[in-house]
Amino acid sequence: MRNSLNSILLLIAGLVYFSCGSSTTEQTFDSSKLTRVPREDVDKIVEAFIMAEDSSTIEIPAGFYEMNTQLILDNKTAVKIRGAGMDQTVLSFRNLKAGGEGVRIVGNNISIADLSIEDAPGDGIKAQHTDGLTFRRINVTWTNGDKSKNGTYAIYPVQCKNVVIDECIASHSKDAGIYVGQSENIVVKNSLAFGNVAGIEIENCDNAEVFGNTARNNSGGILVFNLPGLPKSDGKGTKIYDNDIIDNNHENFATPMGEDPNGNTVTMVPPGSGVILLAAKEVEIYGNRILRNKTSGVSIASYQITGFPAEAPNWSPYTSDIFLHDNKYERNWYRFPDFSRELGKLVLVYNAYGFGKTQDIIYDGIWDENISSTINSNPMRICIQEPDIENLRFTRFFLLDGEKNIDAFKDYQLFQNCKVAVKTDITGLAGL
Amino acid sequence: MQGYNLEAMKFSQKVTQNGIFTISLILLFFIFLISCQNSPDKTNSQPSAPEEVLAKEAADGNYPYRRLSTYGFFTGEIKQLIPASTVIFYQPASSLFTDYALKSRFLFIPPGEKAKINGEDIDLPHGSVLIKNFYYPADFRKPVEERRIIETRLMIHEKKGWQAYPYIWNESQTEAVLKVVGGEINVRFIDNQGKEQLINYLVPNKNQCKSCHNKNETLSPIGMQVKHLNNEIAYGTSKPNQLAHWTELGVLEGFNEPAAHPSMVNYQDTSQALVDRAMAYLDINCAHCHRAEGPASTSGLFLTYDQRDRMKLGINKTPIAAGSGAGSFKFDIVPGKPDESIVIHRMSSTKVGVAMPEIGRTTVDQEGVELIRNWIAEIK
Repeated sequence: MRNSLNSILLLIAGLVYFSCGSSTTEQTFDSSKLTRVPREDVDKIVEAFIMAEDSSTIEIPAGFYEMNTQLILDNKTAVKIRGAGMDQTVLSFRNLKAGGEGVRIVGNNISIADLSIEDAPGDGIKAQHTDGLTFRRINVTWTNGDKSKNGTYAIYPVQCKNVVIDECIASHSKDAGIYVGQSENIVVKNSLAFGNVAGIEIENCDNAEVFGNTARNNSGGILVFNLPGLPKSDGKGTKIYDNDIIDNNHENFATPMGEDPNGNTVTMVPPGSGVILLAAKEVEIYGNRILRNKTSGVSIASYQITGFPAEAPNWSPYTSDIFLHDNKYERNWYRFPDFSRELGKLVLVYNAYGFGKTQDIIYDGIWDENISSTINSNPMRICIQEPDIENLRFTRFFLLDGEKNIDAFKDYQLFQNCKVAVKTDITGLAGL
Repeated sequence: MQGYNLEAMKFSQKVTQNGIFTISLILLFFIFLISCQNSPDKTNSQPSAPEEVLAKEAADGNYPYRRLSTYGFFTGEIKQLIPASTVIFYQPASSLFTDYALKSRFLFIPPGEKAKINGEDIDLPHGSVLIKNFYYPADFRKPVEERRIIETRLMIHEKKGWQAYPYIWNESQTEAVLKVVGGEINVRFIDNQGKEQLINYLVPNKNQCKSCHNKNETLSPIGMQVKHLNNEIAYGTSKPNQLAHWTELGVLEGFNEPAAHPSMVNYQDTSQALVDRAMAYLDINCAHCHRAEGPASTSGLFLTYDQRDRMKLGINKTPIAAGSGAGSFKFDIVPGKPDESIVIHRMSSTKVGVAMPEIGRTTVDQEGVELIRNWIAEIK
């Protein structure tokens, strides 16, 4: 009697614990003590961006800048933007009344370093159509607690070439902290992403390396996606190595509490996801520490799992050519997988190890039947060579017979005896 | 729970130490001094009583001038906007919504030069200037009586390409002064229903102009396309096709007859077909960004007049980087369901980050929303 009461209490405590996704308001720096810069000096910075000449440097001295218009650098070459340090120069866009992003950059060989961007209503810093782009020691964050009202992306290069993101910090964005979209030749390194829905996301990109980063306390740590219907229709070639991908158990606040996911794919990300591959092509993931992510360490998924229309020109919904090896995994015994999102529930309920078991690697098992009639031949070339695989939890799902007939298998052996040669080349970025 | 990391705490203690603080103050001062010297006076104007602050300037051809009057586009009292003989009034069939502001547009082509029709575009020679005045009548029911001109935007076709310059008008309406950093102006007017309205009008900063005027990252005019101008407008007592009129004036070549060129309807003209009005609305209000050559190509949503591809129109298409813009909805357009379409959600919002277009409006275009709602309701 006493024993069963105890187990009930424990169960209730457990339910309470795992129903509350974790949340954080952590700020890396405190900007409230900085001297507020007078309006005319704020205007001088706006003007400096507008009037910038090629090969010039825009210095933004220390202070707290309350911006009421966007900072836009337009079609310039070899311009350096320099703050006095992430903790010293703070551009606050809290009062911005129009414009999609706080800072916007277009040009060639542009670098921006040593400053913070706060509270932009849309994106923090966006760069588009830029060849040669360096973000170094940029901190982009949202300082309020009301997270579903936060901005979309913190650091947002899109349709760019030769992009380096180094020693940056991105936090509290309601979509991705560091988001690289429709770009080619990319390095994201030595950076920190925390408290975002997605920590670091590479979407519809070619030739990217993501290494030496920490992605912690996001809903999902590192994501590689290919979404349909974009001008850059599909991307391939990403290496993710030597990253700390830990405790990504933050609640998914991309939509307000209690609201269902919307059409933004990130709203479906189940809290507790380390790495997610969605319609990804040619990705190698190795030497990472993937620790204490409560739902799944690595999730390999095809776009069909979103339930959205999965047809578009020059684009495939399947994740293929994946090489997962030599990563370190750790599960928290006391945490349950997410049940706030469909994909979380799938893991929670249907994984191959029993109700409520965190998984290290899951594969949705959706394959292109034009290639093979059976998954046993590993038609999408998903290769897994983890040293301790027999002690890891691997689930392959079978979802093709509808919701009532979901099945799950532990058959990692199907994916073990192969390798994929993922080619990336970032030597051209050495000088950035 | 507010947690700061230790480095940051150490830093905040440091600033309070006088020595470093003083040094940074001096540094600040010094840097500002330098940046002052670098910035030309003409871009550093004050919004109030500019005519007292600025010295006279000569029309030396060295653009941009600090004052609108220096260009000599208008004769007589400048606020009457009576064009000089070399300046031509024009008006596109459909007009971008900018907080119900009315606009009057003029074109200056250097004497002896000609505009040329180049496929769908109208190419203007170097030295051409597009002059767009934004104004509000005190009472929309009597639009020709009292009015307040807020800003005039010039697009000048310089040797190095198109350049955009915003000029803000003074209260006394005697002058407008270049202000590259933009501004914010409260405007009161009485609307068509007789209700008093207050609008916080935002003048874009110079570089924000390119948020819309952007074709393959080159600043370019929006209205100078044949489809926008191949229509009839009133010049005094006559009402000719304006491109035919330009041809007659000898400032345009390549225009044959109206039917030989594309044209777009006025979306406010309720006698036109709903789909044509809706596409005209989307084209003039959205397609400057939402086209393959525009900055919103990232979204895969393309809204030009002639778009027929359902996915590119947003029908059952998921958003890409919409953030809050998606609201609680899954698709840009859900056929037959305007209330579930992200397009309507974003058009109906004034919240920055949600509202579309991203700049140029702080109010909702109620009639425009209604038009697009009706169109979506009929999509199968």
